[in-house]
Amino acid sequence: MSVLNISNVSKVFPGGTVAVDNFSLEVADGELVCLLGPSGSGKSTLLRMVGGFEEPSSGLITIDGEDITHLPAEKRPTGMVFQSHALWTHMNVFKNLAFGLKLRRLPADEIKRRVEGVLELVGLGGYGTRHVTQLSGGQQQRVALARSLVLEPKILLLDEPFASLDQHLRERLREEVRDIQQRLKITTLFVTHGQDEALSMADRVVVMRDGKIEQADRPDVVYREPRTPFVAGFIGTMNLLEGTVANGVFNRAGFSFPLPVADGPAILAIRPEALDLAAVSENGQAKVHRVTDYGTHGLVDLELPDATRLKASVAHPDMFKTGQSVALTPRAIAAYRDHALIHKS
Amino acid sequence: MIDATDAAPRPLIDTTARRRPIGLLLVAVPVFLVAWLVIWPIISAILRTVWRPDANGTVGFNLSSYVFFFSDRYSLDNLSVTLWTTITCAALLLLICLPISLYLRFSKGRLPDYVQAMAIFPMFVPSIILSYAFIRVLGPNGMVDILLNSVGLPKIRTPYLTPWGPVIGLVWDNIPLTVLILLSGLGNVANQAIEAARDVGANKLQVLWHIILPRISNSVLVALSFAVLGIFSAFTLPYLLGPASPEMMGPFMQRTFREVNDPLNAITQAVITFGFCIVFGLFYVRSVAHNQGK
Repeated sequence: MSVLNISNVSKVFPGGTVAVDNFSLEVADGELVCLLGPSGSGKSTLLRMVGGFEEPSSGLITIDGEDITHLPAEKRPTGMVFQSHALWTHMNVFKNLAFGLKLRRLPADEIKRRVEGVLELVGLGGYGTRHVTQLSGGQQQRVALARSLVLEPKILLLDEPFASLDQHLRERLREEVRDIQQRLKITTLFVTHGQDEALSMADRVVVMRDGKIEQADRPDVVYREPRTPFVAGFIGTMNLLEGTVANGVFNRAGFSFPLPVADGPAILAIRPEALDLAAVSENGQAKVHRVTDYGTHGLVDLELPDATRLKASVAHPDMFKTGQSVALTPRAIAAYRDHALIHKS
Repeated sequence: MIDATDAAPRPLIDTTARRRPIGLLLVAVPVFLVAWLVIWPIISAILRTVWRPDANGTVGFNLSSYVFFFSDRYSLDNLSVTLWTTITCAALLLLICLPISLYLRFSKGRLPDYVQAMAIFPMFVPSIILSYAFIRVLGPNGMVDILLNSVGLPKIRTPYLTPWGPVIGLVWDNIPLTVLILLSGLGNVANQAIEAARDVGANKLQVLWHIILPRISNSVLVALSFAVLGIFSAFTLPYLLGPASPEMMGPFMQRTFREVNDPLNAITQAVITFGFCIVFGLFYVRSVAHNQGK
């Protein structure tokens, strides 16, 4: 059982930049948590603090209750997979994996058994004698993962491990990594700025912004019930309309929608798939700007009278054409005020 | 109608037969200069020492000048002191420059900038000024002696005019180039490769031994080869700071040529010096090729 606990951790770099701001998170045994956020949100810094490569300015990091906050990286029970693979190019695959085991003075036959076992696990059985520079990007990333796993760490740390790979390989590898993680039941902290990766792999997604947690929930909850306009805009495609509410009606440039909240400014969030369109001859709320046919569905770019753009996902894109007037009917909306969710329907 | 050949884009480098003579002409100038000023003097020097008239005036193959060099105690002592100085300097340079380079590569802030400026500074100081400064500081009745005397301590045994004089001067003179080459090698060692080693449990010494040194072995070889080749044939510093006997090959050649007025033996010494340098050079080329082949 390995539980990672991060309590009130902050990191202030020289010069005063606050990378992580009073961050607290508990990662349960065997759980895969994704830290998701834009560049500069502090997710990598947080991961590096857990790995021992950055010293927290304040706060506490424990693994199974043991304080590791000030422990050097080489003494932590963590294993990290780096974005650039960070393989040692002067060693072959076997030596890359065996290096950590040799430092622990394990017998040679035990090292051989564990290295070969983990190579089988990542689908690289028989690759031990290959030089790492002879491997493809995906194979190199598997070796990097195997190098961490062979030491049987309590916590696995993944720092955007698929960022340098192409889309197809990325999709395949994330499935493989998820399978391995579930098979080994290893507690994992995964940093990514790819929402697809986070939503498809994680047990829990932690959306970060400016070193703080915006929302920490199951992937489906983060997608369907974003708690702040930032999360709403960051996860998936979202139409965000800033307007005002008066007498229970939201208004923005001719587009109005009943919104049972107190009068005042509000941000309306509508997913493209939750926005129904109906072609009208005239006086529609928006005009079709562009229609894109993706084969399985279509995406209609709409323009409100004040030139605000919206997107709507439609099953039959051929029913719409540029310049056409349309009526908008949102099926599901979320409304925000002061960065907080005030209404959901 | 546009002809297909007219419409084809012009390649970046024109390799057509019409342009080829210009390219060859551009290459020919440096090749000719190297052949004239480097290769020919080497061949000429070797020929002049092995194909020459004997005591009877008969021109033929003759190795007597080499036999003399390798049977003459004084010449061998000079060769020994040159080899000793070169190896000592190379070892000291590695011991001094590697920690400096590691510090410059892995430290942040303003202090490393100042250290780098200090490490590179000797590059801009001519050898003659360095020698003069050395004599004024470490020489007899130099600054160190004066300071020791002022606090009632005895004089130091000055390294001036001993084999350690050229060693100190040559090490100081070669620090900038060695640091720059090592630093360039260390620049190729990614931070994440080091962090990955720490992540699997390596301490700082293990990271240095297992990760950093194997990755910069080529740079170490380049730095040492440059230093060794320069030091083996050095003249100014050994001439000004070294002992009169035995002396390094540089001053020895100069004295044989100018003061003893014996060009044949001076050329023989030059050919032998060249022979040692080319052995170092071949060792360097072989090591680099071996490392790259790994």
